[in-house]
Amino acid sequence: MHIPVFERGIIPPDPVAPDSLKGIPRQKTNPSRWQGDNWQDFVQDLRSRGVTVCESRADCSVFMTDAGGVAYGLSHGVVRPNSAEDISKVLKAAQTHRVPVTTRGGGLTTEGESVAFGGLLLDMSSMNRVLEINTDAMTVRTQAGIFWHQLAEILRRDKLDYLSAPLNLTASVGGTLGVGGIDVNSPRLGCSADQAVALQVVTPTGNIVNCSEQENPELMERVLFGYGQFGVITEATLKIRKFTPITIQYYYYSSLRTAIEDLQFIAREDASDYSGILTILDRAITLLVAFDSDDREREFNARWKHNLRGHGEAGFGLRMAWHYLLHPWRIREAAYIIGRRFKLFPEFWRSEFMHNGKIVDRTVVFSRAVWKFWGGPQMVIPDLSSKAEKFAEAVERGNAVCRKYFRHYTLYCVGIKLRGKLPRYEMSCIPPDASDIAYGCEFEPMLRGTNYSRDYLQSFKNEIYDIGVDMGLSYYRFGGMMKGYIRRAMGNELVDKHLAMKKAADPAMILNAEVIF
Amino acid sequence: MDRHNVNTKGYEYCSGCGICLLVCPLWRKTRSMPHTRKARARALQGGATIEDIAASIDACLLCGSCEPVCPEGIGIAAMNMEQRRKLNKLRTNYPSWYPEPSGMKTRIKDNVLHNSIILIAGEYPEEDIEVRSAVIELLGGNKKVSLAVDDGRDIAGLLEACLSVTQDRIDDFTRPLRHASTLIVSEGLLHDPLRKWLPGKKVMGTGEALLSSTYIRKALGPEDLYIIECRGYHSDYERLVKFYDRLRKETGCQTNLDLQRIAIPTGASSLQAKKDIEAAGCLEQARWIIKGRSMKRIVVEDIADREVFQRVADVPVIHVGQLSQG
Ligand SMILES: Cc1cc2nc3c(=O)[nH]c(=O)nc-3n(C[C@H](O)[C@H](O)[C@H](O)COP(=O)(O)OP(=O)(O)OC[C@H]3O[C@@H](n4cnc5c(N)ncnc54)[C@H](O)[C@@H]3O)c2cc1C
Repeated sequence: MHIPVFERGIIPPDPVAPDSLKGIPRQKTNPSRWQGDNWQDFVQDLRSRGVTVCESRADCSVFMTDAGGVAYGLSHGVVRPNSAEDISKVLKAAQTHRVPVTTRGGGLTTEGESVAFGGLLLDMSSMNRVLEINTDAMTVRTQAGIFWHQLAEILRRDKLDYLSAPLNLTASVGGTLGVGGIDVNSPRLGCSADQAVALQVVTPTGNIVNCSEQENPELMERVLFGYGQFGVITEATLKIRKFTPITIQYYYYSSLRTAIEDLQFIAREDASDYSGILTILDRAITLLVAFDSDDREREFNARWKHNLRGHGEAGFGLRMAWHYLLHPWRIREAAYIIGRRFKLFPEFWRSEFMHNGKIVDRTVVFSRAVWKFWGGPQMVIPDLSSKAEKFAEAVERGNAVCRKYFRHYTLYCVGIKLRGKLPRYEMSCIPPDASDIAYGCEFEPMLRGTNYSRDYLQSFKNEIYDIGVDMGLSYYRFGGMMKGYIRRAMGNELVDKHLAMKKAADPAMILNAEVIF
Repeated sequence: MDRHNVNTKGYEYCSGCGICLLVCPLWRKTRSMPHTRKARARALQGGATIEDIAASIDACLLCGSCEPVCPEGIGIAAMNMEQRRKLNKLRTNYPSWYPEPSGMKTRIKDNVLHNSIILIAGEYPEEDIEVRSAVIELLGGNKKVSLAVDDGRDIAGLLEACLSVTQDRIDDFTRPLRHASTLIVSEGLLHDPLRKWLPGKKVMGTGEALLSSTYIRKALGPEDLYIIECRGYHSDYERLVKFYDRLRKETGCQTNLDLQRIAIPTGASSLQAKKDIEAAGCLEQARWIIKGRSMKRIVVEDIADREVFQRVADVPVIHVGQLSQG
C-alpha cells in the first residue's frame, strides 16, 4: 500500500490496514533511548584507563542506522578499540556504571540489531588485522572486526580463500560469526560460524577468554550464533582453502516448487559446490549451480544434470514467450522479466571478472550485484529457515505474502549444511528439527524508488514470521523477529533458559541486551 | 560514462554499504571509520557539519577509487571535491600541503600546437627528462607528437586543493591544445576537467597511449608488476577496466588492481605526498601492492610512483616509457 502525501492541516484516513500487525500486540520493535544515567562517570572512568571515547555528533551519527535503514538511534559515544584489553576495560566499566554497550561490525543487520539506542557503541571495524596464516593447518587467525572482503584480499596474495561468508563484502567476521553467515556454498560447507576453529572473546564482565571446541567449549557454543549476547569476539581462527575460480550453470524454472525440489536434490546428492535459487518473479526462477573444479562439473554433467527439470535460457525464453502469448494481459510482467534479465545478467559475466570461462572473485561479482540491484537506503529482508521437508511449503506461503504486499520482490533460497546437533544451533537461525541440511529463504521486496510506511513493512514482516510460528520454523538471519516474536517462535522454556544464561554472564545486562531479550 | 552528466547523486543517497571504504587508501592507513567516505556521508546525513568532518575531508587523496564501486552511483569524486571547496570557504587556515592560493604561476604563453597528438607530460624530475623523451619517441617522435610546455601542474594542484582556478588560466592552458585530437595527459587529475574544457578530444594517460602499441605491449610479461596511474584510471573506469583487463590477459603481467578491479593507489602524486611521502602513506601502500607477489620488475605509469617503489622493492622499477629499452 502506498502512503499518499497529504497537505499540512489535513488529517487523512488512517493508512494502516486494520489487520496489520495481526496476531501481535503492538509493541515497540526498537527500544527507547537509554537516558544517559552515569554516562559522564563511565566516560571519566574509561579515559582514566586510557580508552578514547568519541562523543561528537559526527562520530556517533556514522552508526545511526544499519543496512536496513528502518531503525534509527544515536549512541552517547563511540569507542574504536585497538585491542581486547580496550574492550575489557569498556565492559568492566559498563558493568560498574550500568551503561549499555552495543557491538557493531559491518552494521549489515536490517532491524537495528547493530544500532545503539543510547549508551556506548563499540566500533569493531578498527580491529581488522590478519594475525597469522597457517598453511599447514589451513587456518587464518584474524582480528574479528575485519570485513570478509579485506580478509579475501589478504588471503588471495597467497592464493587462498575463506570458506563461506555473506554475499555483501562489508560484513565483518565477528558480526557474521554472531549471526551465522550463509553463502551459496553453505549447502556443502555450512555456515560461516561453523568455519570457526577458535575464538578470543571478551565476556560481558570483561574477561578475555580463548575458546574452541576443546577449550572453554561452552563459551564457544554460546558466542557462535549468539548475536553478541555472550561476549565480544575479538579474534577468530577460521578454516581456509585454496582459491579456485568457479564455473556456473543456470537453470530456469517457472514453478517455485520444482526449482526447490531440484535445489534440494542437488544439495542432498552433494552434486555441486555451490547452489542457490534467485527469483526474478515467481514464474521466472533461476537455479544457480557452480563448481570449483572441472572434475566436479564433469561429474555433475554425467550423473545429475539430466535429473534437473529446469531449462536453458533459450528453451525457457521460448516457453515464456508461449506463456505470454496465451496471457497477453500479463505483458508487463514479461517486460519486467526481460528488462531485469538484461540489466542483471551481464553483471555476472563482466569480462574483467572472467578468466577462461570461469568467474574469478565470485564474492565480488555476486556482492556487487546484490548491492546494485537489491540494495538501497532501505532494506527489509525477513527470512525463514526450515528442515527440508517443510521448506517448499514455507517458501510458497512466503511468496504469497510477498505477492500480496509488493509488485516486485526476490526470493533467495539456499541450503545450510549442519554439523550435527550442536548447542550453538539452539535458539539460532537453525531450525530445531533440521538434520543434515536446513534450508533458508530470504523474502526481499524491491524498495528502491518506492515509499512504504514502516507499519506497512512491519506488517509484511509479521506475516512472514507468522508463517514461521505456524509451521515451527526458524529465521535464518533472525532479522527483526526477535523482540516481537522470540517467545512465540522459540517457546517460553527455551527463551527463559537463554535469558537465565544471559543474566548469569552479564549481571547488569549491558551487552547487546536489547537485541533479543 | 560521462560523470559530469550522470552522477549527480549526493551523500544523502549513501546507503552505508561501505564498499567505498574497502578501496580507500586512508582506511588502510588509519583503520579509522571516521576517515572514510562512508563515514563522511553518514555523518552529514546525521546532521554533522562540513567543519565537523574537516579532518577526513582534508585527508582524502582524491585517488577516485571510491566512485566506481559505489552501487548507488553517487558522484563521489565530484562530491569529495565539492566538500573540500565548501570547507575552504569556511576557513582561513589551510593544511600545510596546500598550494598558495595566490601562487598562480606566471602565465605561460604556449604557442598553439599543431600536431594532432599532444603530450602533457607533467612533472618529470630533471634526471628523468630522458624518460620523457623516450615517451615522445615511442609515441611517434616530435613530428607526430607535440610536447605541451604548459603542463598545467599548477592547475592540478589547485584542483586537488579545490581552490579556484581562474578562467584566464584555464584558457591559457587549453588554447594551445585546441587543434589536437588526442591529449596524452600524465596527471590523472586533469583528465576529467580536460574532457569538460575541451569536449570531443580524446583524453588518455601515458600508459594507455603507449600500451596501445603492440610493440610496447610485447615488452611486458608475467614477471612484471604494472602499476596503473589511479586517478586517470578511475575517472574513466568503465572503459579502462576493459583496456587493462585485455592487457593483463594478453601479456600475463600482474597489475595493482585489487579484487574489485580498482587500482590500488600509492598516492605518490598527491600534494600530501609531495610534502611528505611517508606521512601520506605512500610507502605503506606500495608495500601492500607488492606483498606476496613474485615479480622481476615493476613498471609504473606515474613517474612519481617510481621513487616510492624503489624505496620498498628490491627489483628494478622503470617507467612505462622505458619499456622498449628492456
Ligand atoms: C545487502 C545484504 C546482503 C546480505 N547477504 C547475506 C548473505 O548472503 N548471507 C548472510 O548470512 N547474511 C547476509 N546478510 C546479512 C548480514 O550479512 C549479516 O547480518 C552480517 O553477516 C552481519 O555482519 P556484520 O559485521 O555486518 O554484523 P553487524 O550487523 O555489525 O552485527 C550483527 C550482530 O552481531 C553483533 N556483533 C557484531 N560484531 C560482533 C563481534 N565482534 N562480537 C560479537 N558480536 C558482534 C552485533 O551486535 C549484532 O547483534 C546481508 C545483509 C545485507 C544488508
